[in-house]
Amino acid sequence: MQLNKTGIGLIAFFGLAGAAFAVVPFLIGVPGEVAAIFASVGVIWVIVAAGLYWYARRQQRKAAHQDWVFQQGLRGTATVLRASSHAEVNEMPLMSLRLELEVPGFGTSEVKRREIMPVFAASRMQPGLVLPVYVNPKDADDFVLVW
Amino acid sequence: MSAVDSAYAELAANRGLEQLPGFNPGQLTPLLVEAKGAGLQPALRGALGEGVDGVVGQLAYQRNKKFRFQAALTEVPAATAFAPRVFCIRRGRHTRDDEFYGFEARHSKLWTESTALNERYEVSTSPFQDPNWLRQLFSPSLVDWLGTKPPADFSFELAYGALLGSIESDDPDAVSLAALCDATAHVATRIREECEE
Repeated sequence: MQLNKTGIGLIAFFGLAGAAFAVVPFLIGVPGEVAAIFASVGVIWVIVAAGLYWYARRQQRKAAHQDWVFQQGLRGTATVLRASSHAEVNEMPLMSLRLELEVPGFGTSEVKRREIMPVFAASRMQPGLVLPVYVNPKDADDFVLVW
Repeated sequence: MSAVDSAYAELAANRGLEQLPGFNPGQLTPLLVEAKGAGLQPALRGALGEGVDGVVGQLAYQRNKKFRFQAALTEVPAATAFAPRVFCIRRGRHTRDDEFYGFEARHSKLWTESTALNERYEVSTSPFQDPNWLRQLFSPSLVDWLGTKPPADFSFELAYGALLGSIESDDPDAVSLAALCDATAHVATRIREECEE
């Protein structure tokens, strides 16, 4: 997952508006109880913005690591043994995949993987589908599934 | 008969295409996903261009407001092995009016030196693809063609071998539909050639 323009807008909105709600009422002398209500809302919004920012940074670090595995990893194949989905994130299915990995040097292994995919990609995940994988040379459990 | 039906009937007559009662390809590409299963109606099947068979039709759906696209669908199965996803979308195109999600599936923006291409389209691909193959696909001749020849509102989506070309016209005439077919066939041929190389 990656942050998009809407996400940047949401972080900016909740962060700035939250900070304004938390601070401005006190600066302009709004009565204490009302200012406290605004401040509570403001703090919650700032926390939401911070949470989104934290998630975005985490996804960014994950992407950087995946790029490293893609560039430095061993190329192999993953055969889809089973694919199912029981949840959605942002209208995208959270796919539970059971895969058979075949990687030179690591042999064959069966692994589980959960991936959030757009619907048009998820609908392609059928048993028997073979996808490329890149595996961290030092850790067979650390791999990038190319879908 | 509506103006859209007339345009499709004229296209069918001009190009010898078969009229279908409707056509639902499933959710093969992002635009077809946005349509939430709405099929192409009216729809014609046959040769979009030389050696390229497919279906052309109107895709209409509601996402807060009504969206109408004219779309041509064909297949280039060999492309899946090289680039599962390549989207070349006209800048500023809207395909829905009800999305407020801040995160989306990861993709890579394809950088090209062509100012004309970058100004007109946003090109993105799936991550972890061979950048050399993509650079070869977007050769100077294709980039030049994309910047000057297709209909002004043309976009295309290649997803797992399904290629969907589309224009945003609400009121198409047979000429603009023919241009859509030609543009989609041109892109399909170019992708096929690059796969064979």
